[in-house]
Amino acid sequence: MNIKQLMKHNETYILLIILIFSAALTMINPVFLTLENMFDLLRSSSGTAILAIGVFLVLLSGGIDVSCTAIAIAGQYISVNVLIATGIDSIALAFLISILIGVSLGAINAVFISIFKLPTLITTLGTSSLYHGLLLEVVGTKAVNAGDLPESIKAFGKIEILTLTRADGSSYGLSIFFLILVILLLLTWFILKFTMVGRGVYAIGGNAEAAKRTGYNSHKIQFFIYCYAGFLAGVMGVMHISMIRYGNPNYLVGTELSVIAAVVLGGARISGGTGTLTGTMLGVILITILEKNLILMGLSSYWQQFFIGVVIILGVSITYAQNKFQARRNLSIGGA
Amino acid sequence: MSEVFLEAKHISKSFVGVKALDDVDLTIGRGEIHCLIGENGSGKSTLIKIIGGVHKADSGTITVEGKQLSGSQAIESIRSGVQIIYQDLSLFPNLTVAENISVNQMLESNQQTVQWKEVRETARKALEEIGEAHISLDERVENLSMAKKQIIAISRALTQNAKLIIMDEATSAITKEEVDHLFSIIQNLKKKGIATLFVSHKLSEVFEISENITIIRDGKKVGVYPTSELDHDRLVYIMTGRKLEAEPYVYDTKMKQKSPLLEVKSFSKELQYQDISFSLQPGEILGITGLIGSGRTEIVQSIFGLNPADSGTMYMNGEEVKISNPRDAIRHGIALLPEDRLNQGLFDAQSIGDNIVITILKNFLKKIGLLDTTKQKRSANDWIERLKIKTPDGNLPVNSLSGGNQQRVVLAKWLAINPKVFILDGPTIGIDIGSKHTIHDIIRDLAREGMGIIMISDEIQEVLDNCNRILLMSKGRIIKEIDDARTTTSEELYEIVTGAASAGVEA
Repeated sequence: MNIKQLMKHNETYILLIILIFSAALTMINPVFLTLENMFDLLRSSSGTAILAIGVFLVLLSGGIDVSCTAIAIAGQYISVNVLIATGIDSIALAFLISILIGVSLGAINAVFISIFKLPTLITTLGTSSLYHGLLLEVVGTKAVNAGDLPESIKAFGKIEILTLTRADGSSYGLSIFFLILVILLLLTWFILKFTMVGRGVYAIGGNAEAAKRTGYNSHKIQFFIYCYAGFLAGVMGVMHISMIRYGNPNYLVGTELSVIAAVVLGGARISGGTGTLTGTMLGVILITILEKNLILMGLSSYWQQFFIGVVIILGVSITYAQNKFQARRNLSIGGA
Repeated sequence: MSEVFLEAKHISKSFVGVKALDDVDLTIGRGEIHCLIGENGSGKSTLIKIIGGVHKADSGTITVEGKQLSGSQAIESIRSGVQIIYQDLSLFPNLTVAENISVNQMLESNQQTVQWKEVRETARKALEEIGEAHISLDERVENLSMAKKQIIAISRALTQNAKLIIMDEATSAITKEEVDHLFSIIQNLKKKGIATLFVSHKLSEVFEISENITIIRDGKKVGVYPTSELDHDRLVYIMTGRKLEAEPYVYDTKMKQKSPLLEVKSFSKELQYQDISFSLQPGEILGITGLIGSGRTEIVQSIFGLNPADSGTMYMNGEEVKISNPRDAIRHGIALLPEDRLNQGLFDAQSIGDNIVITILKNFLKKIGLLDTTKQKRSANDWIERLKIKTPDGNLPVNSLSGGNQQRVVLAKWLAINPKVFILDGPTIGIDIGSKHTIHDIIRDLAREGMGIIMISDEIQEVLDNCNRILLMSKGRIIKEIDDARTTTSEELYEIVTGAASAGVEA
């Protein structure tokens, strides 16, 4: 691939921005460019990255999903409470429960979107509030302190797949979260590239009517999309609590916009049909670096919210501008 | 006729009590190029959909290669070799050429996974079969021209072992050269024994390509004729049941003013058109024609303020006017009937009446700022009557009307502002020949009453029949002005337009 082809890809630009940004941060604080900091960055961004995969899938199909964080927190909070109540201290059970909840809630989204044909934004806005409200009312609002948290969950967050030793003898390492992310990425990539359901996601995002006419089963595809996004949210929910070792049913909800921003930043078109997993991951990395280092740059953390807004508006504007430019070109001589 | 491939017999179909098809027959031979023509609403689309298994006929049979279809399943028609290419082509703009061509086969084979090697192989073969192997398999379909997209849709049909390809209005969005290319593909398919059913409004194309023509009118078959036995006038007569004759429009020079109604001087806009000057007198119908991309639409959009020119001046009745948006244009009495009436000219879910009066809503304001709906309705009904819009009720939505009647609604909407200059961009695109004549008559009447009219059309014949003066455009310039349309022929004009397009701007 030569430079010219590279410059056609949205990913190239985000990568460049990340590199420039990282260089600047390293100049301010050399700690930024250490392996330890990189490992830490990967650990803390894995959760957002997993949610982003789900949001990416939804965006690809021409929809939008703002309920992923509500689903993640529901899976997390319920599974942890079940573990505490039953006294079964098993990380596998926690994942199982959280995933089941994720898939079920995703399926409810799919019922509204696929069968009742409601707009995706309104549906997920509604179900997001509904899931979260129900969680607080039925399961409770009590926070789970580190002391009450099942041991297996705390232990899981500390697992390292690669451990390195510092000069002073203490150690640091690469979290298992990264491994989970890589596995999920490979799985999603495989599904999108090599299965008919995956191609169907692109097809309905590109031309929903044509997809139906050619014989794609759009109900099946939409159920797959929202259940899969729910599955990812379920995985993320347990990962998140094992990382911060504190459970609060009001966490996560409200951060969905930065997940969407990451996906849009990664080049997924908000109108559906186009985007790549690579771009999505680069978007997550950029957003995470931004979030983590505002203070380092001497800016208040409130700027984070501001930047997320800028990214979303900009992302949508660029898509719009591209369409308009295309239309202009068709209008001018020799076009069409 | 050679061996019969498909035979539809005694097909009838009603939709909520309205008979769309009444005892219609259609026979297509193996490898035959057959045309199906009829006015809008005559039942062409319904017939196609019944053959394709999308609709079920109330009565009648469809037999393919001697085997009768159950007539209710699209997949059955597809398996027996019938492929329909709808006007919108049903392609996926975000996917590659290879995947678009192979998608049906991927789904048909019922595999759960995708074999990319096979996908590319299928696509390559299909493109090769129609001699289009030069199209890149990895290009995204959204980056292709309309004509290329059509080739992709045809290739996709071929992957399904098509023996009959039905093309619904295939030529409405492509240029003359592309039509020629499409026809050579159809001829090629014929050599391979693949039949084509070609549905079109453009009679000249029908004559060029078809061997036999089936004509339907008001849901009934009028007849089937070998193309060689028909000529244009006779075909129109059979199709509409009326004798429609084109009489050239003669301009009454008494209407001429000292300073023209509209005068454009040296209009230029980068990348669109250069140095455009012309004038328009009251009572004139000025035709502008040229290929798509010649700048004709862009220039009139500039006059209407939608696409302001970079430089140049404009005069109305000798006084300079400055128009930078459509509101200015309307204030000066300029109206534009846009090319794409559905997107640019109508609120299609709103009522017919509301659509007509939208340009003059101000006139119905009561003192307190509320609308006088009684007055509004009366005015709308007035227009419905004047332009003979066929509807039981002005409160029905515009999308309940046929194409020809929708176009009349757009006309009424602009006539309501009482324009002095009326620009019509492709006033009869996609409209059947009967309605076309009615619209031409309306336009002529308006001109006779003293309105200045600019009419843009793809169809040189249409311009020739209806305009007294003609401007030919190519590559953003006026290459010829014909002062009296009666002194030229369509062949001559066509030569000039296509010659200039291939030779350059010197002509």
